[in-house]
Order: sequence, then structure tokens, then C-alpha cells
Amino acid sequence: MTDLSVSVSTATGPVPQAPLPEAAPKVTARGLNFYYGEHHALKNINLTLGTNRVTAFIGPSGCGKSTLLRIFNRMYDLYPGQRATGQLLLDQTNVLDSKLDLNLLRARVGMVFQKPTPFPMTIYENIAFGIRLYEKISKSEMDGRVEKALRGGALWNEVKDKLNASGLSLSGGQQQRLCIARTVAVRPEVILFDEPCSALDPISTAKIEELIQELAEDYTIAIVTHNMQQAARVSDKTAFMYLGELIEFDDTNKIFTSPSDRRTQDYITGRFG
Amino acid sequence: MAVESDVMEAAGPYDRARALSAFKLGDVTFYWITRACAISVLLILGGIIISLIVGAWPAIREYGAAFLWTQRWAPSADPPVLGALGPIYGTLITSVIAMMIAIPVGLGIAIFLTEICPLWLRRPIGLAVELLAGIPSIIYGMWGFFVLGPFLANTFQPFMISIFDGVPVLGTIFAGPPSYLSLFNASLILAIMVLPFITSISVDVFKTVPPVLKEAAYGVGCTTWEVVRNVVIPYTRVGVIGGIMLALGRALGETMAVTFIIGNSFKIQSSIFAPGTTISAAIASEFAESDGLHQSGLILLGLLLFVLTFFVLAAARLMLMRLEKKAGN
Repeated sequence: MTDLSVSVSTATGPVPQAPLPEAAPKVTARGLNFYYGEHHALKNINLTLGTNRVTAFIGPSGCGKSTLLRIFNRMYDLYPGQRATGQLLLDQTNVLDSKLDLNLLRARVGMVFQKPTPFPMTIYENIAFGIRLYEKISKSEMDGRVEKALRGGALWNEVKDKLNASGLSLSGGQQQRLCIARTVAVRPEVILFDEPCSALDPISTAKIEELIQELAEDYTIAIVTHNMQQAARVSDKTAFMYLGELIEFDDTNKIFTSPSDRRTQDYITGRFG
Repeated sequence: MAVESDVMEAAGPYDRARALSAFKLGDVTFYWITRACAISVLLILGGIIISLIVGAWPAIREYGAAFLWTQRWAPSADPPVLGALGPIYGTLITSVIAMMIAIPVGLGIAIFLTEICPLWLRRPIGLAVELLAGIPSIIYGMWGFFVLGPFLANTFQPFMISIFDGVPVLGTIFAGPPSYLSLFNASLILAIMVLPFITSISVDVFKTVPPVLKEAAYGVGCTTWEVVRNVVIPYTRVGVIGGIMLALGRALGETMAVTFIIGNSFKIQSSIFAPGTTISAAIASEFAESDGLHQSGLILLGLLLFVLTFFVLAAARLMLMRLEKKAGN
């Protein structure tokens, strides 16, 4: 008996890690569907983003990961013909409620895009701009908030002597961290990252990944990525999507070591995608 | 050299060098044609300036700088007394009022069309704006004369007087006997005429704002107004100012419609509902019957308009440079 159990454990490799403890739900999707006009892009999505967890969304191009992310802050609302059905809750708020104040929602759910999107203004103003939308604070207080946000974006040391330079004068990686700082500055609860590193070099990518993990202490994070190593490095939970469906959603460790669905396994081992 | 001969051999039986030299001749011709086109612009511009100066010379010698601040315009007096203050004042005032009306309305239309307008309404409005640009200026003149003028004199001016009567500065601006032909009538027509320039150029440059930049602004919780104010307009300000300057250039130089409705009075009056004149209107209405010093004076007016337009463009450039500095470039 003893011999047998030893041989079994060596055969399955290292002892599997214990599943992550359940986090309080922050964002909950139930039976979520999405349409681009007639095209049914997301089919019956059910998942929960845990508070202060990093959730990665992986899957081949066109599987609906970015679409799903854009529902979380109703970004799709800017375009006619796009609509979502089902239920999506942010804490107790119904995100899909047509009467919801979208500006307030987007203050609670920040977003960082694939390409860096600094506004056409100075570095200081890029940060102060978002804060000013919600709060009237004095110049000295604002200086403090800007510094805090830039530190939060791991950018302060690089820009503290040129806060009045244009945000567009920074390098790509710095611009992306500026955008993260800008998102953090308005004190959101959830931050959505839509392939935040796909336009960046490896060193900038590493910095941003490190930053994402630090941010997870204070925020609930969802990240869409094409880079499976990145998903494995930064996330606690991973969702694999394929053709508009959520195929598998589990602890990142489990998804990358012993996925339960055949398609997940094929995708992470590079057989398609 | 070795490489060259290799290439020649590789080219086979036909002589590549000769084939290329045929192209070379074409290339040289092309080079000179484009160069001649570019230089001709300079020549024409220089020629116009020189002929204006030559034509204006008698008047410059006679009146000197006093031409600029003399109000009296009496070409039939002996000797004729000519002063450009009236036309200069009229040109500036009508253009300023026209821009004050056209800039907000034109930008408003552009913002509505690009950011807010439902798709089905976009084409009709866009088309209407473009048609506005296609209406010949004489039509605007007639419309201003027969429709807008009576309305302004009979309805709008009494209304403004009833509101602002007794108010220190505004009272005098709107005061005076009603007249179909007035500075304000011309300003309104000018505003309508330059509107399409501002709108269509603004629409074009607003469309160049990357959608993701707008999404980012919406993403921090901006309203549409805040996105336009803080992202769209700063991002496109060079193009927008370019459109405004083009419009201003048109407003300063517009002749036919303005000549029709401005009243051609050289007397400067404080009321914008009084008749006046502009540089181009003065030239258009008097040039045919002028001779000698009078004609030279009119040519000098033309030279002034030229200089004025040049300064407006220079000021616009300067303003752009300032703005760019402020934005931290």
C-alpha cells in the first residue's frame, strides 16, 4: 500500500497546489450575451471576478475576450448596433441598466488599452485631468495626488523632473504606465487591461506585469492577453474563451497544469490559436 | 566597377544602361517641370505685389501714412481727399462679428456630426453644409438684400434696442435708425458663407482622432462634452485653427455679397446696424468709374487688404506655435 501511493505521487509529478480560497465576488456575469448587430459574439457567459484577484482572459483572436472586457465598463455603448443581454453585476449594481450613470460606472471600472493612449496634454495634466472630473481639490492636494498616482504607475522617478512635458514625449512603455497611473488616479475598484503589453518591448512588459501584481493588492483586475506566459505569471484565475463561449474558468495553476477541457489543453499547448 | 559590369552582363543582350538613360531624360524633364510650377507661384505672387505697389505709388506719395487714419473719402473733391479708415474698420468689424458667429456654430455642427448625430441624420446635415458652400456669393447678396435686411431692420434691431437701450456700451452698438443695408447684415451673410469652411474642415480633422483615444477619455468617466473639450479639440487644434483661418481669409476678402448689402458708406458709425463699407466692397463699387489719384487710392486699398490678410495668417502661425509650446512640445 505504501509503495503504491509513493509511485502514484511520483507519476503525477509535484503535489498539486491547493485551490485558491474563494474571494468575495466583485463582478458577476450571469447568462451574458453580446451582439454586434446580428452577430452573436458572446454566448451565455457565466463567471465571477473575485475582489483583489487578477483574472486573465485567454483564447484565440476573435473569441470575444476583448468584447467581454468592453461590457464590464459599457464601452460598447459608444457604438450603435452593439448590445448586451443577461445580467452583469458590479457589487450590487446592475451594469446593463440603461439608466445607469455611465460616467460613474467608468470611474469605478477603469480601462487600459492595447495601445498607449496619453491625452494630448502634459504628463501632469494627463493625471490631474481625470481627478478633476470628480473632485475639486487644491493645487497642493492635486500635486500630492498626481505624485501618488505616478508612483502607483511606477513612473514617478522617470518623470518627476519633466511633469510639464507632453505625455506624447514619453516612450511607449512609459506612456502605458502613464495610462495606468491615470486610471489609478481616479480610484477605481476594477481595472480592465486589454492586451496592455502587446505594443511594448520585453523590459516594459516585465515592468507592467510587476505593476499589475502590485495593483492587485488594491484593485480587482481583469486582463486580456495573447501571451500565455503572461497569463500564467500575473493572474490568479484564468478564463479560456473560444468562439464566443467561456470554455473553462479556474485557478491559473489548474488551467496551465491540468485543464479539464480538451480545447483548453490544445490551446495552451499551442495546437491551435 | 566590377559590380557594375556584372550587372550589365546579367542584364543580358539588351543594353540596360541605355534603357536607363532614356528614363533619365524623363526624370530631368519631370524635375524641371515641377520646379517651374513651384517657382511660378513665387513669380505670380511677386508680380501681383509689385504691380499693386506701382499702381498705388501716386496715392502713397500723396497721402503717406495718413491714408491709414483719415476717415474722409472724397474722390471728387479738388484735390481728392482719400482715407482708408472707414473701409479698414468695416472689414475688420464685419469679419470679427462673422467669426464670432461662425466659429461656435461651425464647431458645434462639426461636433454634433462626428460625436453625437445618429447615423441616419449625418448625411442630410453634412450634405446641407456642403451645399451651403456651393451657393454663389451673389445669391447670398440678394437674399441678404431682400430677406435678411428687412427682417433685421424691422424686427431684430428694434428688439435689441428695446433690450439694451440705456446700457452704456451695448446701447450705442445697437442704436440708430433702421437700415436694410448694414454692417451687421453683411456680418451675418459672411458668417453663413464661411460656416461650411469651418464645419467641413473640423469634421475632417475630428475624424482623425483615434477612437481608442476617445475611448480612453470615456474610460476615465468623461462626458461627451469633456471628451470633445479635452481630447478631440486639443488633438485637432492645428487643423481646426487652419479651417478658421481659411474662413477668416474668405471673410476679409469676400466682395460681391458684401458690396450688395453693406451700404457703401465710408463714414464710421458706432452702431453695427448702420451702413458701412469694406475694402473689397469699396474697390468693387468704385473701381470702374475711377481714374488718376482716385484709382491709385483704390489700388492702395487693395494693397492694404493684401497686407492685412498676410498679417492674419502670420498671427495664426504665431498662435499655433504658442499653443504647441503650452502643450509641452
